[in-house]
Amino acid sequence: MTESINLFPLFLSFRVALTATLFAFIIGIPIAYYLNRSNGKIADILDTLITLPIVLPPTVLGYYLLVLLGRQSTIGRFLEETFDMTIVFTPTGAVIAAMVVSIPYLIKSARSAFAGIDPSLLNAARVLGRSELNIFLTITIPLAWRGIAAGITLSFARALGDFGATLMVAGSIPNETMTMPIAIYDALLAGNRELANILVIIMTAVAIIILYIINRLEKRMTKGTG
Amino acid sequence: MLTVDISKTLKHFKLNASFEASKGITGIIGPSGCGKSVTLQCLSGLLTPDHGKILLNGKPLFQPDQRINLKAKDRKIGYVFQNYALFPHMTVEQNIEFGLKGLLTAEKKQKVSSMIEKVQLSGYEKHYPAQLSGGQQQRVALARTLVTEPDLLLLDEPFSALDHHVKHLLEQELMKILKENYEGIVLLVTHNMEEAYRLCDQIILYDQGQIIQAGRKEEIFEKPKNITSAKIIGCQNIIPVDSITETQCQVQGLTLKLEKQHVTENISHIGIFSENIHFNEDNQSLNAFPFKITDIVKGIHQTNLTVKTADAITLIASVPNEIVDQILKKKMYLVIPPQHLLILEKR
Repeated sequence: MTESINLFPLFLSFRVALTATLFAFIIGIPIAYYLNRSNGKIADILDTLITLPIVLPPTVLGYYLLVLLGRQSTIGRFLEETFDMTIVFTPTGAVIAAMVVSIPYLIKSARSAFAGIDPSLLNAARVLGRSELNIFLTITIPLAWRGIAAGITLSFARALGDFGATLMVAGSIPNETMTMPIAIYDALLAGNRELANILVIIMTAVAIIILYIINRLEKRMTKGTG
Repeated sequence: MLTVDISKTLKHFKLNASFEASKGITGIIGPSGCGKSVTLQCLSGLLTPDHGKILLNGKPLFQPDQRINLKAKDRKIGYVFQNYALFPHMTVEQNIEFGLKGLLTAEKKQKVSSMIEKVQLSGYEKHYPAQLSGGQQQRVALARTLVTEPDLLLLDEPFSALDHHVKHLLEQELMKILKENYEGIVLLVTHNMEEAYRLCDQIILYDQGQIIQAGRKEEIFEKPKNITSAKIIGCQNIIPVDSITETQCQVQGLTLKLEKQHVTENISHIGIFSENIHFNEDNQSLNAFPFKITDIVKGIHQTNLTVKTADAITLIASVPNEIVDQILKKKMYLVIPPQHLLILEKR
């Protein structure tokens, strides 16, 4: 019985989701900031592309990632030849898949947090002699951080729960690329009800905690700071 | 001395502003959306004009032919926004300190605390803007700007966000703080005429992005030059003239005596403030006419009477509520005193 409860998928899932969220944050915040400041054609197109992962089935996304990053693709071959790095059927692939499905949530939240800042505050800071970077750090981020934090939490939840895209890109190699959602499916197929139940309970608990955090953040956001 | 000569094409109109302002308060007045705020934004560097130049105390802030266009942060201009724009996540102290640069911490602290004292906010240093009243917020905004010792101070509708009953009090407070702590040039944007008259020394009248008249406030309010000026400062009776000489004019069959004045061919209308129309029991005074009342609108202190003369000129007269009964009961004449008649040019 003890050998049937293998918690590797749990730890892998958290590692993958955390790494994916970190990269989503680094890439997403500048995009959100840019999207909030400009309303040109390029911004519109970018916005559409960014939203696509919410609407597309995860398997379709996974398929695109396979085509784009697979060993036969230009990028895949380049990575393999120069860095000896493969993406498909590795944890790296799982991270990329999780990031792509989760980044829209972070960008959307951060963008509306930026948009919620009264422009006259930024103008006041400019007139008071501060540089744009300084204003971003002292005004924009402190006023938008709750929205950004909500976005981070939401995108972490989405990354943690991804099934389709991860399965397509990283596969389901036990003790290597098998994340929690895939392990649940696998356990069920193998008739291991006990393992499936434990994993399902863990996932549910995590989801509830995440929703609670987001709720708290949003409530405080409407109350305002100070 | 501030010298402005700028133009900028905007969505609904073209802004063409050319004026000078010196020490003291200059009011920029006009209806909403006439370019007043855009002018302030151009001055502060938040917007860039299409053409022209801006000089402040001899120093160019914007002069495209010399490729000069200072950024907002380098212009040393104080801007008090309509909604005060206090940083909600910072305390009163932190807000006021925000614009101080290149000073030691001790110097900053000293400046901030002396400024807090000057605007009577001692004890509120650690409060957040949301915990303050509208008047206190306004004082923080003013302090935050004054502490940076700006060369030019811009006040955008400073009293429009306040309740009516505190407005007067805060107006006096603001004036006191300004007089005691600021010696530079102040531009104040408003659409409230009373406020403008009380606070400003000089007035610039705006309409649809154009300056229609500028000068000392007494001059503007007593002798508006043209129809638009008269309308903006609240003249309700503006009537076309048929002919005019130096001493009298013909208005729809009525002959009105004028104070002797120079007549140009651009004169097209006469105007009179509704408060300046009087009622007398005899018809001995100049410009006294019989009339009928066609409408009465009663206000708190003043009643607006719509009156019609025999020659069918319709005028609006404001009279104190106490004398309305008298006017209604007795046979009276309406009097248009020549010294109050405005001679207006078309635009």
